[in-house]
Order: sequence, then C-alpha cells, then structure tokens
Amino acid sequence: MNEEYDVIVLGTGLTECILSGIMSVNGKKVLHMDRNPYYGGESASITPLEDLYKRFKIPGSPPESMGRGRDWNVDLIPKFLMANGQLVKMLLYTEVTRYLDFKVTEGSFVYKGGKIYKVPSTEAEALASSLMGLFEKRRFRKFLVYVANFDEKDPRTFEGIDPKKTTMRDVYKKFDLGQDVIDFTGHALALYRTDDYLDQPCYETINRIKLYSESLARYGKSPYLYPLYGLGELPQGFARLSAIYGGTYMLNKPIEEIIVQNGKVIGVKSEGEIARCKQLICDPSYVKDRVEKVGQVIRVICILSHPIKNTNDANSCQIIIPQNQVNRKSDIYVCMISFAHNVAAQGKYIAIVSTTVETKEPEKEIRPALELLEPIEQKFVSISDLLVPKDLGTESQIFISRTYDATTHFETTCDDIKNIYKRMTGSEFDFEEMKRKKNDIYGED
Amino acid sequence: MHFSSSARAADENFDYLFKIILIGDSNVGKTCVVQHFKSGVYTETQQNTIGVDFTVRSLDIDGKKVKMQVWDTAGQERFRTITQSYYRSAHAAIIAYDLTRRSTFESIPHWIHEIEKYGAANVVIMLIGNKCDLWEKRHVLFEDACTLAEKYGLLAVLETSAKESKNIEEVFVLMAKELIARNSLHLYGESALNGLPLDSSPVLMAQGPSEKTHCTC
Repeated sequence: MNEEYDVIVLGTGLTECILSGIMSVNGKKVLHMDRNPYYGGESASITPLEDLYKRFKIPGSPPESMGRGRDWNVDLIPKFLMANGQLVKMLLYTEVTRYLDFKVTEGSFVYKGGKIYKVPSTEAEALASSLMGLFEKRRFRKFLVYVANFDEKDPRTFEGIDPKKTTMRDVYKKFDLGQDVIDFTGHALALYRTDDYLDQPCYETINRIKLYSESLARYGKSPYLYPLYGLGELPQGFARLSAIYGGTYMLNKPIEEIIVQNGKVIGVKSEGEIARCKQLICDPSYVKDRVEKVGQVIRVICILSHPIKNTNDANSCQIIIPQNQVNRKSDIYVCMISFAHNVAAQGKYIAIVSTTVETKEPEKEIRPALELLEPIEQKFVSISDLLVPKDLGTESQIFISRTYDATTHFETTCDDIKNIYKRMTGSEFDFEEMKRKKNDIYGED
Repeated sequence: MHFSSSARAADENFDYLFKIILIGDSNVGKTCVVQHFKSGVYTETQQNTIGVDFTVRSLDIDGKKVKMQVWDTAGQERFRTITQSYYRSAHAAIIAYDLTRRSTFESIPHWIHEIEKYGAANVVIMLIGNKCDLWEKRHVLFEDACTLAEKYGLLAVLETSAKESKNIEEVFVLMAKELIARNSLHLYGESALNGLPLDSSPVLMAQGPSEKTHCTC
C-alpha cells in the first residue's frame, strides 16, 4: 500500500489469479487483494465444512456423520477441466501443474426418458449403448469421422459444407441424423445448454465436438479432469505463480474505494491507505455500478452418503439433462465428486446441480436432477446473478471479469481471460506469453 | 501430471523424495538458507524472495540417495497470504526465525498453528534460528528456543548462519534422517505403530554447556 503498481487486481477468483500470474510473469508490478480471508472468491473451495454451513446460514454445526470439518473442500461452482481444453493448456504453459494433482472423472451420463445413460467413451460402448438404434449408429459414426477429419485450414476436409455459412441443422440433415442423435450430439458432446446453436454456422459446433473427442482421447475414460482438494486449488496455484514473479498478495482487505480521476482509474483505497496503479482488474463484486445483470444461475450443493444410482458406483461423474427432456430452454447439469478427490470425508459424495434460471421458481425447475440424487443429506442452495461489464474499460482502464456461468467447464472463463488480456495490452493473447521467463527451480533434475 | 509425491520411488534414480516447506516471517533469511543448501554460497544482495519456486538437492544418507525438494514461500508470508495448498503434502516443515529480531521468534506459534491447520497430520517440524553470525545482536536465547520446541514437540532446534556456512547442511541431513526413520517404520506394518512412538522428542543440538549463552561463530 501507499505504493505505485502497474496493475492492481481485486478478487482472487480463478480469472483474476490467472491474469495476475500472466501480468507478473511479463514483468508488471502487481498488487492483488481480496476482501475475503481465503483465496478463490466465487470459485473457492470452502473449508472446513463449518464454514460452508455458516456461509449458507444453516443453523447449528454439521452433524457428527459428516466427519472431520477440515476433510471437506466444497466447490462453490461445479466445473471440470476439459483434458484438451484451454485451462489445461494454461496450466501446462505456466507449469502451475507443479502445484496440483488431477484425477480423470469416471464418466459422463445423459438423461433420457427419466433414466440416465452412459455417454460412450469407446467404440464398443457406443455399439452396446441403447441411446440410439443400430442404423443410426452407423450414420453417427460417419458423422464423427467427418468431424475428426475436419480441419478449418484445409478446405478439402469440408466435403461440400461451408463452415462459416452452413448451419448445424443442415449438417445434421446432410448426415441424415435423427432427433435423438442431434440432441445427444449437441448437448452431451458439444455441451450446448440450449438449441440456439442449430441455426448458427457449424464451425463452432464442429470445433466443440472435436474438443470433446480430443479430451476424451487424452485419458480414455472421460474428457474431464478434476484437481485433488477441489477447484479452489486452481486460483491458489496461479497466485503462487504471480508471487514468484513479484506479485504482492493481501487477503482480508476491505476495499473502501476505487479512485477514478478524469474518467481513469488511479488507485485503490483500503484501510485508509492508497495504492496507485495504471490499470485495474476486478471481479464484478467490487464494481457493482459498472456491471449489468444478464441472467441468473442456480447451484445446489448436495451432500450424499452414496454414489448416484446407475453410475456403476462412480466416485465422480457428470450428468447432463438436455433441456428438451424436461421442457426447458437450458440443460441442467450435475457434477459429482467425492472423498476420492479429498473434497469430502470418507464415504461422502458432493453432487452439485446447476442451470440457468428460467422462472421464478428455480428450485422447482431442477427437481428432476434432485430426484436422481435422493436421498440427500444436506442441501446448500444459491442463486447468483450473471454479471457482465457495461464497458470494455478502454477509457477507465478498469477491466471487469464476468461471473462464472452455468457451463461445467472453463472454456468461457478462458475466453474471458483472453479477451481482458487483449483489451489491457492491445495484443492478441498468446499462450507463449504465459511461459515462465526464467528458471525458478534450482538444483538438479 | 507431475511426478509422484510418494516418499519412496524405487523406479527412479533415488531412494526417497521428500518435500520440505520453509516458512517463517519475512527477512529472516529463508531464501539464503535454501540457496546455501543448494550451492553452499551466500548471496548478500538478496531482497524479498522473488523467482524461487523450489530447490532440489540429493543427499547420500547411509547409502541411500535422498532427494530433498525444498519449497520457498514466494514472499507470500509477508502479508500472511501463503496458500493452503503450499502446506499440503509437505513431509516436513522448517520454521525459521531471525535470532536478532525477537518478534520473528514470537511468530513461531502462529506458523506451527498454520502447519497443524493445513498440513498433514504427521508433518515433521524443525526450528532454525538464523543469522547466528550476528551473535552480538542476539535477542533470542537458544534455551528459549529449546523450551518452545519441547513444548510443541518439535524435532529439533538448530542455530544457523547462511553467511558463515554454519549448520545449514546439518538441518537438512537431520531432517532427512528423521523422515527416513519414520518412513521405515511403516515397512513393519501396523503393529509397529502401536508399539513404537512415532514422534521423536526434541533433539537439542546444543554445542556444549559452556556455549549456551551465546554463539561464538
């Protein structure tokens, strides 16, 4: 405090910690503060369990059956890492993987007609699956081969489809795929939450299906990774990266004021002291007047003492409930992890239901998901606003991240990071910029 | 994604790999200690810790090759913002204080509490009083440190000087031997755990009765 920095960052969510790491690695002098006493902000893993009860205002203490409080690390947002996705790429380029251990999620399931079906992870599973008929499978396979061969830089792979013009609806028609296959492809592979993508040009959908397939191929069981001890390890890892390159960290810091002069940020006031800066990065909670609400997400954290039925006793899994199965516009997701990931006491499972809110009764909207989880020992319900910045920060040099959406991966979070990076630096984001600039491991290896 | 943190790794070119975290207040000389451990060289110009993630060095202990991976705080101790994950999976912790600054010694219970809160149940903890080359500016008696170590059941106290190459090597050798000893107990199965106390009582590394009141180095 009472110092001059290049960049001040407010909030230690994953977006902010990754940006802090990038800025520090590139020689910027960074001050990173959070009003909370813990790292992670809205993307934290809450520990001990007593703190989760407190946060959600559940009266009393956790019951004895929950085991030791510190064995719990409960994610506030339910997400996995796509094995071939942008966040894994960021972890590898920054070598923040040094600080983390991951497990492959055991499976992905899709809800259809009131039951759940495993999303096939091998050709044998695909042939055995009753998600679609035999002839449908052959046409679907032909479609997947097309997607695998598709290279947006090589028009010979297009086979009469114009990636920038042909709609996805027309692509499905070309391959003669039925409604069941279309639903499965769009929601369980391309991970769209609505059907809006059908009338959009197909290149984005093809790339999303490719991402899923390549992520699945990486480890074989499912396309998802999850860090031991919870998603809160991710912001901490990137915070350490920033610190190693000179970033200063302060937690439990109330932010009284962001000081703006002539429309431009000049600093931050905290506990009577002022830190000056050229640029500011923050999450929406620090600048309520500079963001607008574009929707809401409901998340229900459920503690179970059993694996989810019909998941072959999986210790971790995702369940996708496509929107048209439950007469909604957006899909409902369930992300389940457990004691096997050091996020719960022995024998306990954490299943988090999430979706975009569509009515005034969001808890009723997600009832089909909650029914899959019964019996539920304890529920923690939150409804969060989806907030986006009102402007790009060009004049103010205040760059505001978006809140975490209802997707169960981090691709949109990484897009936000790349976008903010570009606005701050004027340069297109390049993963090479994330590399450590010098050797910071000393000694043999 | 990265190599296993298991203590024994027979497939690789070492017998044991131990992760040790170095903690304590700012400017007690932690980075100097770890750099000296790696290279035996003292760097006078050290500022606040920047640019050191961890340091690796192998020791030969009774014929076993022991790889020590010593992690630094990256300066996050300055405002007490060390991440919880820093403490996770550490086999041992070295808490450093500056024996010329009493306040850094008074902080030790705080650091012990952090280890107990976030670290594994059986972390081996050792105390080091650094900068013993500045004996004329001493503000922490060795006896006081021994009393505190005994109270908290720490493995040992050593007074060190990175500047004068005093006791740095000894800290890590002692730690390595203790970690190997504890690791070996598990090889005898559960019955050994019941029969033998796992925690060592503090080994007080006094240099001799006549030198207790000050260090002559």
